[in-house]
Amino acid sequence: MQTLLLVDDHASFRAVARTALAERFAVVGEASDAASGVALARELRPEVVLLDVHLPDEDGFAVAVELASEDHPPRVVLTSSHDREDFELLLQQSPARGFLEKERLSAAALAELVA
Amino acid sequence: LSVAVPSDFGPSRRLRGVALGAAVGAAAAATAGGIALAHGQARGTSSFLAATTIVAGCTFIAGGIVAWLRGPANRTGPLMVATGFVLFGSSLAQANHAVPFTVGLVLGPLPAALLAHLILAFPDGHLHSRWERIAVACAYFDAVVLQVLMLMFMGFENVSGGPYPRNLLLVRDDMRVHDAVMGSERAFGFAVALWVGVLLLRRWRAASMPLRRAVVPLFSAGGLVIALFVVAFIAASPTPTFSRGFSSATQIALAAVPLAFLLGLFNERLARAGVSDLVVELGRMPAPGQLRDALAQALGDRLLELAYWMPESETYVGIDGRPVDIQGRTGQTVTVLERRGRRVAALVHDPALAEHRELLDAVSSAAGLALDNEQLQAELRAQLEELRDSRTRIVEAGDSARRRLERNLHDGAQARLVALSVALGLVQAKVDSDPDAAAGMLDSAREELAAALNELREIARGLHPAILSRGLEVALSGLAKRSPVPVELTVELAARPPEKIEATAYYVVAEALTNVARYANATAARVTVSAEPEVLRIEVVDDGSGGAAISPGSGLEGLRDRIEAIGGHLELLSPQSGGTRLGIRLPLLREGRS
Repeated sequence: MQTLLLVDDHASFRAVARTALAERFAVVGEASDAASGVALARELRPEVVLLDVHLPDEDGFAVAVELASEDHPPRVVLTSSHDREDFELLLQQSPARGFLEKERLSAAALAELVA
Repeated sequence: LSVAVPSDFGPSRRLRGVALGAAVGAAAAATAGGIALAHGQARGTSSFLAATTIVAGCTFIAGGIVAWLRGPANRTGPLMVATGFVLFGSSLAQANHAVPFTVGLVLGPLPAALLAHLILAFPDGHLHSRWERIAVACAYFDAVVLQVLMLMFMGFENVSGGPYPRNLLLVRDDMRVHDAVMGSERAFGFAVALWVGVLLLRRWRAASMPLRRAVVPLFSAGGLVIALFVVAFIAASPTPTFSRGFSSATQIALAAVPLAFLLGLFNERLARAGVSDLVVELGRMPAPGQLRDALAQALGDRLLELAYWMPESETYVGIDGRPVDIQGRTGQTVTVLERRGRRVAALVHDPALAEHRELLDAVSSAAGLALDNEQLQAELRAQLEELRDSRTRIVEAGDSARRRLERNLHDGAQARLVALSVALGLVQAKVDSDPDAAAGMLDSAREELAAALNELREIARGLHPAILSRGLEVALSGLAKRSPVPVELTVELAARPPEKIEATAYYVVAEALTNVARYANATAARVTVSAEPEVLRIEVVDDGSGGAAISPGSGLEGLRDRIEAIGGHLELLSPQSGGTRLGIRLPLLREGRS
């Protein structure tokens, strides 16, 4: 089972995600903004980070770049309630593994992206 | 004869020559008449009648010369001079020699026709309608053709007051024919005189105040003369003494006509005195809007309007900054005022003033500086007015956008979520008793939820595209991707523009692409964004049907308001032949992102 860090400012989404992903991921931590997300990632070294695009301090794309420069970079999957189309250009340039629309979130979908 | 020629009129040398010749001719004719009067009396004509004819002739020639020098282009002057000479000529009927006698007989009724022509052609020297031209032609026909015809059958053997010289036109002395022709000449002359009277009445009723003021003296003197002519002409004279007295009265009234005309000139001199008052008035720097009143006063036109030229929008506005339509005014004439070759304003004034171009020029040059000031003020007000309008429209657009948003939320996502809540209640009830049915219900609930999410996303994007925080290119590429019409997007920006410029640019492209998809029938569109040091340029081109216009209440108007609110500029090129090009310039402010 892969270790996972959840970074999202909505507690309700974190709660649902934790439940939904439980069958295939071990959620080792939760962060509600970019700064604590990066700090927790360094501390916990999760294998996967599920990263919301819209965070109160910085956006997910910037965090993904930051995480990619770590010694053991986690596999990052960005998520948002917006359409994939909105981010097409950014996703092409991002080191993130993939993008998962929030409403399509499931353990199987995430596992496929980080496989 | 001395003729005062104002120095600023500057008539040509040739005209001065003609005037001098006319004056000399008149003096000679008057002298000859005077000598004839002093040295003998023909056929019992009263010397008083002869003297009044000389006076009338002289005043016509003198008045005509003044008018001629004053307005070389105006036919009134020469016409008056001709009338004077014809008057002299008609008195030749008193001569004792056959040739001058016959000439005098022929010219007898001509002054009446000339007078009708003169009065109808006042003040510009032109006849103003087909009816006027026909009336004048008929008058000449009556006075020349019928007169000659009448004389061809008139022997003078049996006419009282003789002996007369030979009538050179005589073909056959036939009193029956002569009487018939003379009868018709009189009847026709009477009809023409009535006709002229009706035409004058009609012109009087249609005339504006300044024109009425100008024509009063001439119409009254001329009308009296024509009336006297008519009476003398058609009335069978009871006694020779009465007839002669009547003729003298006619001649005296006739002599008053040129004086009436000169009175008109004098009136204008008075009006010009108004210009000096205007200069004094303007020296006191009148309050805004008082220039019109001062000009109306100086020009004697109560209804005068002053419209200021707005070079940018190429329209005229009033002092309040509101648009003024100067075209198609009935009963008013427009004169454009220029200052140093630059159009400043337009005067909407009485047509009678158009005859007094010098007066208009004098007034407008006196008003020059004040005109400049008022034009600037009007321009400022027009801009304020436009600003106020666009601000109102922006607020209204905001209001209606909120209304639309509320409706969309209410009818869309909210309704779906309500249905979903009900459906979930059902699932909860069924989950134990009928798990298969519950699972099916969950499937449709999920579909409903997806639709609600989609709608919420659309609305959120319309409120403010969060993605804009990642830059214009990223945000615009999202727009281009979602557009149903294929879009080729080019963004060339060295640095990020200020936030509000990016936001405006985004909305501009969003609205433009919505229009392309909705109205243009286009198969492809191209969006180009580029930056110069101080300007962000956006171009949206489609290959659709064209014919788009910025009409009130349209999305394009809202777009233009938005663009102009931040100092930008929108240009629409959308010919009926097809294709639409929106060109937008947005100012790139020097300060960085806030």
